[in-house]
Amino acid sequence: MHLTFTKSGVTTGFLFLLPLWLLSVPARGQGASLEAGLRFQKTLNLYYENGLTVQYRNPGLLSNRLQVGLTYVSSRLGSAIGSNAIKQDNVFLSGAYLFRMQRTVHPFVRANAGWFRADYESEIFKNLTNSSPTVSTELGVLVPTKYRFNAAASVGYNLITGDGSDSPGTLFPLFYQLSLTYSIFKPTAE
Amino acid sequence: MKSLVPFLLLFVGLVGCNKSPDISPDTLDGDVVFDASLYQPEKYLVSRARPQPTPAEAQRPVLIAVHGYSASTFEWDEFRQWAGNRSDFAISQVLMGGHGRDYASFKQASWRDWQQPIMEEYQRLEQAGYQNISLAGSSTGCTVILEMLANGYFNNRQKPRQLFLIDPNVVPSDKLLTLVGVVGPLLGYVEADNTTGEDKHWYHYRPYETLRELRTVVDIVRKDLQKGFRLPAGAQLKVYKSETDHTADPVSAVLIHKGLKTSDGKAIDVSMVNSTLHVFTRLDLRENVTAQDRANQRQAFEDIALRLIK
Repeated sequence: MHLTFTKSGVTTGFLFLLPLWLLSVPARGQGASLEAGLRFQKTLNLYYENGLTVQYRNPGLLSNRLQVGLTYVSSRLGSAIGSNAIKQDNVFLSGAYLFRMQRTVHPFVRANAGWFRADYESEIFKNLTNSSPTVSTELGVLVPTKYRFNAAASVGYNLITGDGSDSPGTLFPLFYQLSLTYSIFKPTAE
Repeated sequence: MKSLVPFLLLFVGLVGCNKSPDISPDTLDGDVVFDASLYQPEKYLVSRARPQPTPAEAQRPVLIAVHGYSASTFEWDEFRQWAGNRSDFAISQVLMGGHGRDYASFKQASWRDWQQPIMEEYQRLEQAGYQNISLAGSSTGCTVILEMLANGYFNNRQKPRQLFLIDPNVVPSDKLLTLVGVVGPLLGYVEADNTTGEDKHWYHYRPYETLRELRTVVDIVRKDLQKGFRLPAGAQLKVYKSETDHTADPVSAVLIHKGLKTSDGKAIDVSMVNSTLHVFTRLDLRENVTAQDRANQRQAFEDIALRLIK
C-alpha cells in the first residue's frame, strides 16, 4: 500500500490519528492530569445547556487536589435545538477542591466565574440586558475510572441571577450537571 | 448520625406545619373585605348585566379583562373608568378563582381554579350570542390566557378577536420562585409589600401553595412557548411590557415573541414600554406616579380601545 503525503494530508492524518494514539498509550504523565469532554447541564425550570469542558490538575496545585478548568455550555447545544428556547451561552473558569483522593469517589466543591450572554434576536428588545458576569458554586462528586474516562456530577447555584432590571431574565439559580471527560494525560499513580 | 435523621425530619415537619399568618380583618385576606364583583356581578360581568343582548349589543366588542396573581378586579378598574360612558365596547372584569375572597380560599385554589371564571364568562357570552369577544390580561392573567391558547381552548368555539397582554408573567423576576418546592414548606407563606390601600385589593399574605401553583403555570406556558403555538384564525395579539419589572421579568416578552405566532405564522405585536412598574396600566393606590407613567397608561388604553373597535 502506498501513501502519498501532502501538507493538508499530514494535518488531516494527524488529527485522525491523535485520538487513536491517546486511546492506545498507557496512562502516564508528569504527575499532572488533563481531562477534556462533554458537560450536560440542566437549569431547574429552564433549559438544557450542553457543551465542552477542560479540567487540569497538577501535584504543584495543592497536591493534586485543586482542579482548574474552562467550560462552555450553551442552549444552542441543548434546549434551543429545534425549539423557540432563547439561545444563550455561558463560558466560565472554575477551581475545584477534591476530597478523599484515595477513594473511588472524590467529592468536590467548585467555584465558577465567567460570562453569560443571551441572544434575543430582535431589535424590539435592544434595551433589555442580555449579558452578565456569572459567579456560581457547585457541590458534587468526581469518579475517575482506570479506562481514562471520568464522570463528574454536581448541583450548582448561580449567585447572580435575573431580577427584572439589570440582569438577563433567563439567568436562573439552580442547575445540575453531568460531565463525561477523557484523560488526555493523568498521573500513573491514579 | 443516623439517630439524628428522624429528629431532623421531625424538626422540618414542625417548622413546615401550622404556618398561619396573623391576618388583619381590614385586609383582603380577612373575612370582612371582599372583591365587589362577588356582591354585584352585574356591575362587572357583561354576561350578567346583559344576558340577552339585542342584535346591536351582540355585535358590540366585549373585552374580558383578567387581573394577576393575588390581585382582584380592581386591577382593571382604571380602564373601565377611562372608557367612561363609551358605548362602542363593553368590559367584563373577571375575578379569578380563589381571588378577592380570603386567605383560606386563596390557599386552596389551584391555577386551574384561577382560570375557570375566564372560561365561564367566555362561554356565557358566547352562548348569549355575543359575536365579538376579546381578552385582556395583566401579569398572571396573561399566563392563564396564554395557557388557554396553547391547549386549544378556542378550537371548537368562537374565536377571540383581540388579545392584550399587559406585563405578562412567563418568567418571574424573582428567580427564587423556582425553589418554592423546597423553601415553601419551611416558610408557609410570604408577605407582600403592599400599601394600606392595596391591602384591600391584593392579598397581603401569599401561601406557598399558591406560589407553587404560580411556578407550575408559568413553567407550563414557558414550555408551550418553547415548542411554539399559534393564535386562532383571525385573532390578533399585542404584548405591552415594562422594560424594568421586578415581578414579571421583561424577558417574558421575548419568549412570547419567539414562541407565539399569528395563525398564518407572522410575528405578534410587542411594545416595550419605558416603565419600571409591574402592570403599568394600574396607577391607582401607587405612590410617586410620574407623568411618564400617566402617559404610558393613556397610550396603552387608547391603543387597546382602537384595536377593539377597528
